Amino acid sequence: MTRRIDRRGFVAGAAGAGAAALLPGAARAQSKYPTRPVTLVCPWGAGGGTDATARIVAAILEKDLGQPFNVVNRTGGSGVVGHSAIATAAPDGYTIGMITVEITMMHHQGLTDLNPTSYTPLALLNVDPPGVQVSTSSPYKTIKDLAEAIKSSPPGKFKASGTGQGGIWHLALIGWLQAMGLKPDHVPWVPSNGAAPAMQDLAAGGVDIVTCSVPEAKAMIDAGKAVSLAIMAPERNPLFKDVPTLNETLGIKYSVGAWRGLAGPKGMPADIAAALTAALKKAYDSKEYKDFMSSRGFGVTWAEPAGFAAYMAEGDKAMGAAMAAAGLKKG
Amino acid sequence: MRFDDRLAALLFLALGATLIAATLNFPAFPGQKYGPALFPRILGAGLIVCALALFVRAQRAAASGAPLLRIDPALKDPRRIGGLLLVVGANVFYLLAAERLGFIPTAFLLLLALMAWFGVRPLTNLAVALVMTAAVHWFFGTLMRVPLPRGLFMQIVAGG
Amino acid sequence: MTAIIQAFGLVLDPYVLGVIFASAAFGLFVGAMPGLTATMATALLVPVTFFMAPVPALAAIVTATAMAIFAGDIPAAMLRMPGTPASAAYADESYEMAKKGQLELNLGVNLVYSALGGLFGVAVLILAAPALAELAINFSSFEYFWLACLGLMCAIMIGSNDPLKGFISLLLGLGVGCIGIDPAAGFPRFTFGNVDLMSGINFIPTMIGVFAVSELMRGAMAIDLHGLMVQDKVGALFRGLGQVSRRYWKNFLRGSMIGTLIGALPGAGADIAAWVSYAVSKRFSKEPEKFGTGHIEGVLDATSANNAAVGAAWIPALVFGIPGDSITAIVIGVLYMKGMNPGPTVFLQNPQFIYAVFIVFILANLLMLPLGYAAIRGARALLAVPKNVLIPTILMFCIVGSFAMTNSPYGIVLMLVFGVVGWLLEENGVPVAPLILGLVLGELLEQSFMTSMIKSDGSFLTFFARPIAGTLGVITLGVVAATAWGAWRRARAG
Repeated sequence: MTRRIDRRGFVAGAAGAGAAALLPGAARAQSKYPTRPVTLVCPWGAGGGTDATARIVAAILEKDLGQPFNVVNRTGGSGVVGHSAIATAAPDGYTIGMITVEITMMHHQGLTDLNPTSYTPLALLNVDPPGVQVSTSSPYKTIKDLAEAIKSSPPGKFKASGTGQGGIWHLALIGWLQAMGLKPDHVPWVPSNGAAPAMQDLAAGGVDIVTCSVPEAKAMIDAGKAVSLAIMAPERNPLFKDVPTLNETLGIKYSVGAWRGLAGPKGMPADIAAALTAALKKAYDSKEYKDFMSSRGFGVTWAEPAGFAAYMAEGDKAMGAAMAAAGLKKG
Repeated sequence: MRFDDRLAALLFLALGATLIAATLNFPAFPGQKYGPALFPRILGAGLIVCALALFVRAQRAAASGAPLLRIDPALKDPRRIGGLLLVVGANVFYLLAAERLGFIPTAFLLLLALMAWFGVRPLTNLAVALVMTAAVHWFFGTLMRVPLPRGLFMQIVAGG
Repeated sequence: MTAIIQAFGLVLDPYVLGVIFASAAFGLFVGAMPGLTATMATALLVPVTFFMAPVPALAAIVTATAMAIFAGDIPAAMLRMPGTPASAAYADESYEMAKKGQLELNLGVNLVYSALGGLFGVAVLILAAPALAELAINFSSFEYFWLACLGLMCAIMIGSNDPLKGFISLLLGLGVGCIGIDPAAGFPRFTFGNVDLMSGINFIPTMIGVFAVSELMRGAMAIDLHGLMVQDKVGALFRGLGQVSRRYWKNFLRGSMIGTLIGALPGAGADIAAWVSYAVSKRFSKEPEKFGTGHIEGVLDATSANNAAVGAAWIPALVFGIPGDSITAIVIGVLYMKGMNPGPTVFLQNPQFIYAVFIVFILANLLMLPLGYAAIRGARALLAVPKNVLIPTILMFCIVGSFAMTNSPYGIVLMLVFGVVGWLLEENGVPVAPLILGLVLGELLEQSFMTSMIKSDGSFLTFFARPIAGTLGVITLGVVAATAWGAWRRARAG
């Protein structure tokens, strides 16, 4: 552990030295940001949902601010690599990135020391709640049937999947089970390499439940291979009107979500951060962004830096508690 | 650089043992019989078995008492070993210099040095290095948007 | 019908045709240049296609990948450096052919059968996509476990003259694959607190290292000697092709079918297709002893298979939004980006776009013949470039190519480390190809094993309980038994 801190200390020192060398440039940059291309780090792979969101936002920012916003995929390590790249970049406004819900989870697992406070939050852009998907050949046609069956079955009979061990959809399952008064491992988690393989395993009969978000399950639902029984959100998603919430069917007020937002390294100049937040608000309100997000079925949610930080802090606490309950928390 | 198979076998043996030793402090997978240590241990054991088999085979074959480490005659020729080290060194140089200097000067110097060592005539060398650097930078950096390091060079050229 | 006519209209637009030609040139270049790969070509096209209309955007990706998978065969034969991972399985064989003076025959076969294999895969994509996707989607972790085992058996069957060292190489590859966050419990293994190592060992920079960089090291040592390139001109490409075709047309069909099936399976792509078809070719050949000495038979199987897999990988991608390989994983993102959400409805909502993709696929594979021919001819110019210029240039592309895979210096570090490791292994008679296969299959093997164990509550019998899994399991065990029996008999005889 100490080794990692040392290394980060070194990186921070090097970044500081770099920033000092850049000082004349940085001073000039502040007068009219941005004066050169901006790098937008995406911790997830090209072609995925986060990548798509990053690219649409980058394209709008580019048009608005007149400098290229280059999306750079820094993938791997369950998101640790990309999130580290954002946090350790020079805080000059020329490296920002899309951070995701994993930043509130990874440090509880001992994968990194980074947490939501390691960043300068710029804006929250999107939240997707998990759904409860079963195969079309499943005997359970409503969330009530499924919940009853889970409750009355011995632990381990039902298997669920959707992402890696300790990932967001795993925690969604744990939260739901706990809200029903069951143990977190009553339904064992089958780790998968993302939502798409999990949905395939659902169709192949390998698992019984997949708790990924409804847009991630959409292709399989459209194909008639799976159905969404409920979403774990306060209210229904207007794009999937027929899927009820847990609250209205089971009276369970549990809700959680995978979110995406933009942030920079800690210590960004306030005027640059403000300029970016203003540009992001414009992008968020644009028809282009709204159309794009609804075409993918992604939910749109806005929060300005202070609200975003509070949202992350709250999520961080909830995730920590859920992970501790499931025995996933380290240290 | 050819090691005697017995020496190679010992290296693989050590590697297999290290692989297993490194898994000893791996946590169990909550609620499961098998955890993250299972696969490395199987592989480590496999390596040890193969290494032993290799050792026995080499021991049987090497009655003549071949040297434990046979250095290729080519590796004793400074020009040849220089070429080998230069290819490795070029990568190391790029890793050390690219962030600071920027892609363009680093790539240019790298090409220049390698071609000079390999005996390309200075004028051809200069021309090829210039054209290649410019072409790679334009194609990958500009057209394909690969985030090639900007470094000091772009700071001076592009201002900031 | 109107949709098909519309589709032709969309493709035969001058702008789209221009994009197709430009991406063909791009694909051929990326494929033929060691250090740059088809996956990277697709990833690089994402920002470029972002601003295009759906049809040119998809046309660019289809054309570039089809060309790149073929073009990877060119440096494999000329320089013993596979241009893309999909050519790695038979790079040695091709190079041996070139050494025997059969470079023309090798490249001719690679060109023609890449195009034919590609057309085979596309034909299946067009005619049977829904049905085949229905089959592929039934694969659960149990089936994948057996499939990964069969893939590993290929490494042994392909073999070298030293199976023991081949097996060690395979174990090294599997071991290296354990680095990073483990696929089941999410525990970081062998990372020493390093953030980059947590992302694991990216197999593309590794492949560039063991194949290209180690070859460059050998080339740099012998800069004044003849080597690296065995032949400095290319003669008539299609001489002898007729004879080979008459003799091995069944191999074409078998290779294409294997390629199509493997391509259509989510998660397995052109590289694995090439390995498997090459191994199958050797297993069922009348002259297995000729394999590895510069024999065209296995090359024909494998080069048909990897191009067939390119089209087939689109089957699960289009029908279920599940990637068939690393290329279609990116394609799915592009489809979404263009409002063509994958799923069976994509055939109903935007049929003209899907037909346009099919037309582009056919066009790309037909264009492969003249453009590929020109590329091989152009490679003659490359061969004329003196080695002392060529080595630094290829090294530059290896550096940029590895960098672009991780967008960080980590890719270059991997490439360099595995370049040196690959050089040392080859010096000591340890083949490097099994190492790459181990790295590719390692995660699939471990993930499918662990998740199967979780699902079955720790019972091994469940691995045989499902019909497809049971069949695959019996086949695997049969292959293991046959191989062991053969080895035992040989040991007793020898």
